[in-house]
Amino acid sequence: MSTMTEPPRTPADERVQEFKPPRYRRPLGIGRDTVVQYGVLAFLAVLVLAPIVPTLYQSIRNRPLYEAGGAFTLSGYTDLFTEAGFGEVALNTLLFASLTTLLSLAIAIPMAIVVVRTKLPGGRLVALAMQWPFFISSLILGFGWIIMYGPAGFVSVKVQQVFGGVPWNLYSIPGMALTEAVALAPIAYVFCANALRQSDASLESAAQVCGAGPLRILGQVVVPLLRPPIVYSAILVFSVSIETLSVPLLYGQPVNIDVFSTFLYHKGLQSVDPDYTMLGAASTVILVVTLSLVAVQAKLLKDAARFVSVRGKVTRPRRLDLGWLKWVSIVFIWFYVIVGALVPIAGLVMRSFTLVFTPLQSPFKTVTTKNYEIVFDSDNYVQSLWNSLIVAGVGSVVVSALAVFAVMVARRSTFRWGRAVEYLALIPQSLPGIIIGIGFFWAFALAPFGMGSVLQGTIYAVIIAFGMRALPSAFGSVAPAIMQIGGELDNAARVSGADWLMTFFRVLRALITPAFAGALVLTFVIMLKEYSPAVFLSSADNNILGTTMLSLWTQGRAGSVAALATLQIGITAVFVALAGLLMKGKHHA
Amino acid sequence: MPEVTVKNLAKTFGDNSVLRDVTFTIQDGEFFTLLGASGCGKSTTLNCIAGLEQPTEGSISVGGKPFVDAGAGVFLPPEERNLGMVFQSYALWPHMTIAKNLALPLNIRKVSKDKQKTLIHDALDKVGLADLSGRYPHQLSGGQQQRVALARALVYSPTVLLLDEPLSNLDAKLREQARAWLKRLQEELGITTVYVTHDQEEALALSDRIAVMEGGNMIQIGTPHEIYERPAAPAVAAFVGRCNFFTGRVIGQDGNRYRILLDCSADVVEVESDQHIPASDSVTVAIRPERLEVVPATAAASGVNRLKTQVITGSYVGSRYEYDVRLGNQVVQVLSGRGGLAGEVMLVFEPAEALIFEDRVELPEEQSDLLTIGT
Repeated sequence: MSTMTEPPRTPADERVQEFKPPRYRRPLGIGRDTVVQYGVLAFLAVLVLAPIVPTLYQSIRNRPLYEAGGAFTLSGYTDLFTEAGFGEVALNTLLFASLTTLLSLAIAIPMAIVVVRTKLPGGRLVALAMQWPFFISSLILGFGWIIMYGPAGFVSVKVQQVFGGVPWNLYSIPGMALTEAVALAPIAYVFCANALRQSDASLESAAQVCGAGPLRILGQVVVPLLRPPIVYSAILVFSVSIETLSVPLLYGQPVNIDVFSTFLYHKGLQSVDPDYTMLGAASTVILVVTLSLVAVQAKLLKDAARFVSVRGKVTRPRRLDLGWLKWVSIVFIWFYVIVGALVPIAGLVMRSFTLVFTPLQSPFKTVTTKNYEIVFDSDNYVQSLWNSLIVAGVGSVVVSALAVFAVMVARRSTFRWGRAVEYLALIPQSLPGIIIGIGFFWAFALAPFGMGSVLQGTIYAVIIAFGMRALPSAFGSVAPAIMQIGGELDNAARVSGADWLMTFFRVLRALITPAFAGALVLTFVIMLKEYSPAVFLSSADNNILGTTMLSLWTQGRAGSVAALATLQIGITAVFVALAGLLMKGKHHA
Repeated sequence: MPEVTVKNLAKTFGDNSVLRDVTFTIQDGEFFTLLGASGCGKSTTLNCIAGLEQPTEGSISVGGKPFVDAGAGVFLPPEERNLGMVFQSYALWPHMTIAKNLALPLNIRKVSKDKQKTLIHDALDKVGLADLSGRYPHQLSGGQQQRVALARALVYSPTVLLLDEPLSNLDAKLREQARAWLKRLQEELGITTVYVTHDQEEALALSDRIAVMEGGNMIQIGTPHEIYERPAAPAVAAFVGRCNFFTGRVIGQDGNRYRILLDCSADVVEVESDQHIPASDSVTVAIRPERLEVVPATAAASGVNRLKTQVITGSYVGSRYEYDVRLGNQVVQVLSGRGGLAGEVMLVFEPAEALIFEDRVELPEEQSDLLTIGT
């Protein structure tokens, strides 16, 4: 254009200045972006493979990994299937997991429908109450149930007094399944409720216009649309109940019912001379089961996500009126919340303040703080409380930061192995906690340069194992928050001259802070509640609340267990409340 | 000299090829527009220039400096290309003030604080927002945000300015004003500019040259005048402005004037063309609605091509009248200054006003349904 007409000279032309475009050093053609991205990939790979590979290796070695020598063997597998009663264990597990899945769906689906889609007094309160498992671990719930409904429990004894018999037996597979279903129902509830909230309300209006009544609409329009979240949450609940340790351990031990997780626990910890080869084989078999469940789940989620993520225009669902049925629903829901969660937890708290807790004698006669004094007088118990706080405090910061980097690499970079980073960050979801514990135990035995002996039996070992367990949740909480930040903001920074790393630190870091804080709270609570990987990693020095409670429970010191459990719930509640206040304050600023 | 050269650019995602063999050169200081419907590959081309996407094949260089060459394995990341870019969403960093937004690229280039101040002030002054430097993006209107985004893209004197539909988020009235303003600014700065839009009017008004893209192919590059008057393909004629298409067959020739038998009505029309078209070939005749005239059937109008038609609908659209008339089994759109026509009318056009394309036009099924009437 300048060749055709002479443009008028403007101030802009007079100070034509060329800034040098930014240069980033690339020794051997490798920039710092690449280094960081490969670093994250390598770190995650080592972290995730550390417990898996030694487990597989141990399953085919005839001596424990920490001993020299040893040769290839398949006896672990043959022993497992011929001698060890593994068939019965597998059957128990299948029964327990199926029953748990059925029961939790039976609780969750009707509840989600009536809460989200019908006019229900106090519906918001129910939605809030369904978050209780966030604060209470299934180990503590198990204690609470036993204290109230167990053979010598408060409620059982009362029922015995009044009716002359107790129609239930908690120490059985249905008993376990019921407790576990109460604990897991909220997971299924959240999936169904979200799907219901997002589905198009006009579908129902259309049915209504055609003359369908509320029940017909629910039966023929709403429930069929729920099929994907039901299938997905069923698989999720099933796989969680396969790996859970708490309830089967507490209920099954007195009556010798073993499932996968307690089988590993007993074989690995309670036998005098553990057969590590068979333990490895059992772990491998269980890993295969849970991993294939997750593969199915991932495939379904891909389809389910397509189904669920119909967002955009938010149509407020019209709520149907159920008439008298709504009172039935209210009774049903509050029965679940009160009998399932509130009563056991209240019982646990009561137990922590009494010496004797039975309906035969008013608990107020023996009100005491002695249980707490025992806890605070013992250095070991105080130490385990501190250990738990340190593990959760340090771990949550590290894990959240790792999750932010993993999401940045997986979703916000052009890194070639971004998908691999995402899968690695999510795999621990499918690894049973107890196998992570066993796996790291062996990994420390194998680790080069004596790193294993430095970590073995320390609190760092616990942080690593718990952190790995919490990583998928942290990733899942950070990813959507980061994806909400428009990609053009990154692009604008890149074109302006910032490389990937500088874009992150100069532009995105401030925007990601709320997501990071959210992940921090989540992982803190998860890691405070966690204990199953620690049972194989614990020593006198690194006991945490969960392992301490478990050993106190086996010693029959229920009062101290109740006191520790109450403390754990209290800490969680205070922490979440404080975090909520802090984050609210930040939003206003 | 920042001359942008794009050679044989291609991009595939898996089996899906979104860009095929795109080649063009942009002169220094030129305002060059990539025009096309969504999904035509125009944004991909722009992102390849910016370095936000990596082409599967081909090369791009600016001012002789290779940015990317898929064959030679050269790829300069976006941060080292020294380009300015304005995004559709403006992409102002929401947690920074306007001044901080402009300061970031200067910080990266290690410009001294004093100099930063004058540069930021000058850049904001250029877009008329110097007094808003302390504000945050969400405190500005859409039009102001768009100007800040432009100031941020210019503050570090980039070699080339890339604009990705920067006006599409403004409302219609403001968009027209912003268009005129942008044109003035670009001429004043004389910066080589690549502009992406799906709005043909915007493209015609702003550009020195336009590249029309469709389905990953670049089908014509030319000045706005060439694009509109001499479209290289029916698709260009259909996309830039409106156009009626008639299929037919060549039945005679007199110099550069062809006689064509129309399929829709069996009328014979005469059309001028410089191409050589063998007799009895199937062709498509294209005429823009404003080049057609309708006159009452009884009027003794002069004109080479006079076709008998009936008015289906007539509507007044402000400055002129728009008619749908029936020619055989086809609907023909006409823009005319003459109002109040109905019933039998005469459709008139000169041989030079129509174009002949040797390939048959395949209209989308939905559109052809709307333009066909049962007889």
